[in-house]
Amino acid sequence: MSDLLFTRGLQYAGYVVEAIICLLLFWHGRWKRLKLLCMYVGALFLLDGVARSASFSFFGQGSTQYYYFYWVTDVMLALGAFLLVCGFFHRACAQDEKRWAFVRLLLVSVFTIVLGVSALSLTRNYAHLYTMFIIEFSQNLYFSCLVLNTLLYVMIQQLEIEDDELGLLVCGLGVQFAGEAAGLALVHVTWGGAFATILFGYLSPICTLGMLSIWIYAIGKAPQEVPVPSKLGKKAALLEAVAD
Amino acid sequence: MFMAALILIVSTGLFFFYLQALCQKILRRQFTQEFSQSIVNANRLEFPSVRKAIEDLGSPVEYPRLTLTLKCDFLALTYLLKNAANVNQRYSYEERLLIVYFKFVFASLVSRHMLKLREAPAALKLTRILEYFANVVGERVNTVRFGNLTASDYLLNL
Repeated sequence: MSDLLFTRGLQYAGYVVEAIICLLLFWHGRWKRLKLLCMYVGALFLLDGVARSASFSFFGQGSTQYYYFYWVTDVMLALGAFLLVCGFFHRACAQDEKRWAFVRLLLVSVFTIVLGVSALSLTRNYAHLYTMFIIEFSQNLYFSCLVLNTLLYVMIQQLEIEDDELGLLVCGLGVQFAGEAAGLALVHVTWGGAFATILFGYLSPICTLGMLSIWIYAIGKAPQEVPVPSKLGKKAALLEAVAD
Repeated sequence: MFMAALILIVSTGLFFFYLQALCQKILRRQFTQEFSQSIVNANRLEFPSVRKAIEDLGSPVEYPRLTLTLKCDFLALTYLLKNAANVNQRYSYEERLLIVYFKFVFASLVSRHMLKLREAPAALKLTRILEYFANVVGERVNTVRFGNLTASDYLLNL
């Protein structure tokens, strides 16, 4: 009973923090600069916080409908996470078009490979075609997001990109992906053992909460100087010239 | 099974890597000026001399003195963080995280010594954390001093 209460407490704390991030982004007008992040947090709040809870209370935990709904929303969130990583890559390559062209090709290739590898699981499980594909695809996509996120972090360090906010956002995403992947792998290694399952139940909301807290720190406290290559950059230069 | 074990090892490693990266990002914070020096002088902290010894000689001073020095400085600075010019009388989240990080790095220093590995990188990391703490304390004290009320104003109003 206390375990359930603790897990629920963590989940609700996560929803509250998601709402805080959305408010913080709109309050400071940063959603214009962090559109993808804003959309991802919004989707997380709507799908994980609102829709899943509604489906849970409407259909019940053991129902097939809730099972399908859970995994479909999981795939949607995984796709959202992948798009977010792509957005971070785009921001990191804002100064170099050639690099972005290469990275874009890499991202498309990774997505195609994940899709292909997940489709292979269909050949092994004809009985549960739809759910097997969704579960496999979602897990593969999450793990590739973890790998891509790590590549992005290494790229930021190697190219010495002076964007603290991006670094912190990537760190937050990494904590979430790595924690969940480790928990899921532990469940697989122990063949779904009771301890591992309970641990995963705690780990998942803790990691989400950790990611969101890091993002709040990134949005609220990190220095605001971000490379602005487009019209804004020209405007800023013009303003400086006028001030001089 | 093999793949799951591999993913478990890699993911766990990456999880701690990201936490460490986060701590390093917090430590990279630029202060408007060097606040730590006044705190070091006022409290006779010894971590700058430990850092200088490592940077000059390439290796820290003898191990028992090193651990004692770092531990004493850590205790003094964490006390100051909580109580010096801190209205809430509690640590912020990033300070809590860095305190845990300090303890991890300290444990790594001890294990490095036991395994007869190089202690200098861990000791340098510890001095960086202490310097950050000293800067935060110094910044807070400075804010109080140059806020709406100066120290002399405060004393006159007593």
